[in-house]
Amino acid sequence: MADAAIHRVAATAAVRAPIGEAAAAWLLTAPAIVAFVLMLLVPTIAVCLLALTDFELGVPTFQFVGLDNFAELMRDRNFAIPVRNTAFFVALVAPLSILMGLVLALLIEANPRGRTFFRAAFFLPVVSLMVAMATAWQYLLHPTIGPVNAILRDLGLATPNWLGSSEWALISIGLISIWENAGFNMVLIMAGLTAIPRELYAAAEIDGARSAWARLRLVTWPLLGPTMLFVVLITTIRAIRTFDTVAALTQGGPNKASELIVYTIYREGFTYLRMGYASAMTVVFLAVVLGLMALQTRLIERRTHYG
Amino acid sequence: MTEPLQMNRRAAIGLIAGSAAALAAPAVRAQNAVAINVHYSMPAIFKPAQDAVLEEFSRRFPNIRATYLNPTPTYEDGAQLVLRGAATGDLPDVSFQGLNRLRLFAERGIAVDLRPLLAREGDPAKLGYSPALLGLGFHGRMQAGLAFATSNPISYYNVDLFRRAGLDPARFPTNWDDAIAAARRIRALGDGIDGMFYRWPGDDWMFSALLYGHGGRMLNDQESDVAFNGPEGLAALTLLDRMVKETGMPNYAGTADLQAFAAGKLGMMFRTTAQVRGIADSVGSNFTLQTTVMPVIDAQKGRLPTGGAGAMIVAKDPAKQAAAWEFVKFATSAVGTSLMVRNTGYVPCNQFAIDDPQYLSEFYRANPLFQAATKQVHLMIPWYAFPGANSVRVTTVMVDHLARIAEQKATPEQVLADMATDVRRLIPRG
Repeated sequence: MADAAIHRVAATAAVRAPIGEAAAAWLLTAPAIVAFVLMLLVPTIAVCLLALTDFELGVPTFQFVGLDNFAELMRDRNFAIPVRNTAFFVALVAPLSILMGLVLALLIEANPRGRTFFRAAFFLPVVSLMVAMATAWQYLLHPTIGPVNAILRDLGLATPNWLGSSEWALISIGLISIWENAGFNMVLIMAGLTAIPRELYAAAEIDGARSAWARLRLVTWPLLGPTMLFVVLITTIRAIRTFDTVAALTQGGPNKASELIVYTIYREGFTYLRMGYASAMTVVFLAVVLGLMALQTRLIERRTHYG
Repeated sequence: MTEPLQMNRRAAIGLIAGSAAALAAPAVRAQNAVAINVHYSMPAIFKPAQDAVLEEFSRRFPNIRATYLNPTPTYEDGAQLVLRGAATGDLPDVSFQGLNRLRLFAERGIAVDLRPLLAREGDPAKLGYSPALLGLGFHGRMQAGLAFATSNPISYYNVDLFRRAGLDPARFPTNWDDAIAAARRIRALGDGIDGMFYRWPGDDWMFSALLYGHGGRMLNDQESDVAFNGPEGLAALTLLDRMVKETGMPNYAGTADLQAFAAGKLGMMFRTTAQVRGIADSVGSNFTLQTTVMPVIDAQKGRLPTGGAGAMIVAKDPAKQAAAWEFVKFATSAVGTSLMVRNTGYVPCNQFAIDDPQYLSEFYRANPLFQAATKQVHLMIPWYAFPGANSVRVTTVMVDHLARIAEQKATPEQVLADMATDVRRLIPRG
């Protein structure tokens, strides 16, 4: 039926080109537009509206409360702590996982032997189910029977309570995230590397860039720019929205030490049932993330596109 | 492992005819049958029990067609399902919910008050509902549900570690001073072995065991102010503090305590009896597991909180409500509760099944690990559900404060004062 419609559109387009073309364009983009409106735009607007109410799950009526939820947010210690935790978390995870991804990609590219194996090995965390991986991490980082602490004990080092102490819980979640994201970044960066024309390296060598470091600095790095922009954006987003490791491993504890913002929103809405307040948190979260993205794009784009 | 399926034509026709007949039979019966939808949570624990209850119920009540909805993985998911359903008008007729969440449904007008239905039956004691059992489902001035499966905290211990530490496994400590002393001796074995873990994280349940143990309560009788900030609450927190200070009790996150215990690296564990089956499975033949009652705090005033699930009726339509009542009544009857106990290990919720040996004595003889909880039935009082919109949040606030003691970042006195201030702000002002 859709085919027939397109044929008809195509047929009329032959007669009256401009209108027909526009109709065809609309028709072809319609599924994407409908999906976008239904799946993203409408829910986002709904969340913005709910943020202005005191809607609670299971309570039949709700009232318009204006900006009360946002005023409460500003005073809420339970919101300030996860915001601080998330900022620390992104500052830890994003740079380290990008750096690790870059180093892994360069190492694997440099040596063709075992390339497929290493690529698969480091990409594994991305394709595996994080909740299942979390169980493995829980065992690895177990304070008494975990292999990590067993090794540290043999080396005569201190054995931290990785997931159970407020000093380490957030860092441990961060380390797991770095492990998870590094492989993802590695694959993206490797794709970027293969897009760099080989002749440029040869040309750089002739022009005097004799050391590998010089070629990296003068050819690889600048040409990797657009890829790195994407990697920085995607890693930041992935770090900000970390949820599953927190939910599976620490439940934000002890005493909110490892609580990240998305987990807070989830608890507020679905455990404490305050949908209106949780929506207000989501709106603030969304605004901050979009602002951050806009800022990053503007700052980095200036230096990555050559034209 | 599938066997190759071979079938001749006649067999195939027979099979088709047979299944058509099988499909037709309930349809004929259903002409004047009432259909009800039943929802429950935690299929990992309850599926065998619920299936057994449904099978027996369908046999006895052929004109009520009860079907289970897809079970939700946790009590929390189960509560969300019904609350979402209340917003969209898509509700089950019967729902099994965590006992401490019944109040939330009572206050939001979702649970049907069972008192009129009970009154029609005459004396509730004749159905096996003692006042204590009814009390577990009584919230917000109404009978919001009936207890279906109950649990209480018990002691789990590693018999091998007890022997190695020179302790007599047949004489498990009956008070906390002795338990702490035993934990110290087990920890002294070294090799990464810890003495004990008291499962305070997650929710306020295990803290309430310490509070009730001293005879304390969460709020005052009018529910207008906190009541845990007295000497009982301080004693409860001090006991937790001693466990950390004197036995080096580690701060296990998530299920790390269960892993350490199963690996034979933890001497004693204090947590719900609901996990007996799971813990026995994970221990396997690594060592000899034993369970017993909790160490006693106050022999006169001491009580223990009740965990588990209760059945509530959500259906508003009279015909469905009547059918739902038959189902709830059966699930909580002596027969229903015996099916539940045999398949889960929870504590029975019908006085007849508790008193009359014909129902369960054989089961307990064959499964001694399940006995510990039944010996504490007389101590069980409801798991307190806080009033108002912040009912669940209060429990998180308490756990967050307990973490400060577990990490030795504050004294029991400081924590008690802070906890009282924070909880006071979250309860409705009377």
